[in-house]
Amino acid sequence: MGTEYKINKLDTSGVGPLVDKHWNELREAKDKGMKIAWCSGPMFIYPYATPNIASHFMAGYAAYCGGRGMADEVLEAAERFGEMRDTCSYHRLHTGMAAMIMNDWPVSNPQVILPTPDLLIGGRFCTEMSHYMEAIHRRFGMKTVTIELPSARSRDDLPRLEKFVTNQVKETLIPAIEEVSGSKFDEENMRNIFRSWKEACIIRNKCWEFFKRKPSSWTLWDYGVSIAPIFYAMGKPESLEYYQDLLKQLEERAEKNIYAVHPDGEKYRLYWDGWLPWSFLGKVIRIMIPYGAIPIAGRYPWEFFSHPDDIDPEADDIIHEWIRLIYTSPNTLSYYDGPWGGQDKIEELIETYSIDGMLFFSSKTCRMWNLGQQEIIDNIEKKYGIPGVVIDGDMIDSTMFAEDQMRTRIEALLETIDARRK
Amino acid sequence: MEEIMKGFVKYTSDPYSAIEEWKEKNQKKVIGIFPMWLPEEIAHAAGMLPVVMWRSNEAITWGYAHVPPYNCPMNKSVVDDAVKGKLKFMDGMVFLRECLQSQEVPFIIENNMPPAFEEYLYMPPIYHASNADLEFTRGELERLRKSLGEFGGEEITDEKLNESIRIYNKNRSLLRRLYDIRRKKPGIMPARDILKVVWSSMLMLKEDHNKLLEALISRLENNGYEPVKGKKVFLSGCLCIHPQVELLDMIEDLGMIPVDDDIYVGYRYFANDAEITDDPIGALTERHFIKTPVDPARGEVEVNWGKELVDKVKRLNADGIVTLMTKYCPPHLCYYPDVKTVLADAGIPEVLVEIEHEIISYEGVKTRLQSFKEMLGGV
Ligand code: SF4
Ligand code: SF4
Repeated sequence: MGTEYKINKLDTSGVGPLVDKHWNELREAKDKGMKIAWCSGPMFIYPYATPNIASHFMAGYAAYCGGRGMADEVLEAAERFGEMRDTCSYHRLHTGMAAMIMNDWPVSNPQVILPTPDLLIGGRFCTEMSHYMEAIHRRFGMKTVTIELPSARSRDDLPRLEKFVTNQVKETLIPAIEEVSGSKFDEENMRNIFRSWKEACIIRNKCWEFFKRKPSSWTLWDYGVSIAPIFYAMGKPESLEYYQDLLKQLEERAEKNIYAVHPDGEKYRLYWDGWLPWSFLGKVIRIMIPYGAIPIAGRYPWEFFSHPDDIDPEADDIIHEWIRLIYTSPNTLSYYDGPWGGQDKIEELIETYSIDGMLFFSSKTCRMWNLGQQEIIDNIEKKYGIPGVVIDGDMIDSTMFAEDQMRTRIEALLETIDARRK
Repeated sequence: MEEIMKGFVKYTSDPYSAIEEWKEKNQKKVIGIFPMWLPEEIAHAAGMLPVVMWRSNEAITWGYAHVPPYNCPMNKSVVDDAVKGKLKFMDGMVFLRECLQSQEVPFIIENNMPPAFEEYLYMPPIYHASNADLEFTRGELERLRKSLGEFGGEEITDEKLNESIRIYNKNRSLLRRLYDIRRKKPGIMPARDILKVVWSSMLMLKEDHNKLLEALISRLENNGYEPVKGKKVFLSGCLCIHPQVELLDMIEDLGMIPVDDDIYVGYRYFANDAEITDDPIGALTERHFIKTPVDPARGEVEVNWGKELVDKVKRLNADGIVTLMTKYCPPHLCYYPDVKTVLADAGIPEVLVEIEHEIISYEGVKTRLQSFKEMLGGV
């Protein structure tokens, strides 16, 4: 038997209180006379910048439920209500919660329940984001706004799409937010959010530098858990403090030659595509660690504006600035998250972080990240000689998560890497 | 009657050869159009034959090297056909963003067997029909007009486009007439034949289809009608693909008569005309934003699919609804629970049948349909 590898997690415990604070603020918002917007996709920033309305970023709820072991109960409620199991688990989580509220079903953990919204904002980054919004609308009947945010087939399409999205936001979204909140959208608020968010992202990027080290000082899971401050505390001093603390830990590790994998660092540096498996982070890393394998980089965790220098809080048109970041900025989310640009982004990550192999997490019910995965694997394998495999599962639905299959595929990938190293 | 049906069936029994043969004979380009929202009229006006892509006639095999089994049959089928080289007769293909899985198909096709012409339209959902939506949609359609014109070597003028819209409107109105006849005379044609008539319209030159349809309608209107006994059912759903004819036979054999539908290879395909105006692209844009029949993929919150179905069933005096759900089709999957609730509240019996690329167990489906028929009661 060779080395006995162990995971050496960073201290990310600072996330918990930050996340709790966010959810508590959301729960208390109604008592303070505020309105609530539930937002899918990246449109959450507009209500966030508007007074008198609290903004719930719906994808965050999945990570929250998954991370705290509450997902199964909500998914069961969705099924009891009649939701189809082939719909994405983020859809079922929110409709499950809605079913619990509508039917007054008992809940083992009251934290599962969020205040019902006054406004639904479907940022149709993924087309299904609007379908779950519609479902909630049909059950509660509140005002619903949908903004089409297409992912681009080619870079040439980006300016056209950017203009379309900007026009929609100005024509439809901002007036709806103002109508529901009874307040004017506050440009200065948005600039302030951008200012401190930019600062946090700059420090976050310094942390990313430690992924380049061989052996690495941390794993993608450490960073995955640390995405929360970017959202929940976007534009708040706590998020900057969190990343400063993270950076300090990483610097200490580097100084003392402490690695993410004990005792002497990772043997395999893996790329992870798709959602992080929020409910199963521990299970997945426990499959990898005995082999000295860790996830290092991924397209999804990198989507949160990896070029902070490009964030311009002083932009003339601050409403447009957010959309520009999504479309024509260097980290063009709308291109990289789709199948066409995805390959470019993955190649960049592979080169930057010296990746040995690729795991493509294919959620059975969320097809957004699955699009073209097999093609991308084949293309990259041809170009770089780096192998990849698809692993099926789900980010939170435990009935769709097969540990054995995952283990077999991961082992197969590591064997292929070994064979190519010889 | 049989003679007329032969004209339609030629295309539905083997669309690949029938279209290729047409192409050979007419020396024109064939453009594959991904369902469900793209205006074929633009390709027709370019002097080409637009054909709506379809669910294939054989098991998915090679396709699984490119897409997972839990993708919808429309996505899997086109990918499988394309990688097997079965779509080589298509000179061009037009795709769109209408759901996640529709976006993946062009990526895979470009990566493996790019056609001579390809276009991808970012067709938006129809929630707000805001100025931004309308302007953008118009731009997308103009883009298609321009690129197809360049591909065909001739400008697609407003006149040409209006002429095509006129031909397509005629086809739609004839198909609506056919459906009217069926509503008044349930069972006048087997459901499988109705399906073939509609499906062939997506595969053949509209002018030819119009001629056949006129002949068919004239026969149906003039021939005698022997009322058919059975429970009247409405078929709902089946986005993008045509259901298996065996399934329609089964419904009828069990004593149920489909009297109407909102399936894609059915009423949904020909429900709405485009107006003839001096701005044909504007007319096609307007049509995209029509809110009925409710299309769960197109997205809408002001109208409700369940209520629309309740109204239709009541108007038809139908006994129940058979939901045909294209397997792994999220727009329908996400909407279905609400439709079911509304139907249950209105006391309308409903049964769900999933439509996969290949139906694995007809026995299982039969059992479901049999219990449904028993629930509907006697003959
Ligand atoms: S399909 Fe995926 S990306 Fe789309 S809403 Fe569902 S979980 Fe989100
Ligand atoms: S609308 Fe449904 S059937 Fe059509 S491509 Fe999309 S998922 Fe597939």
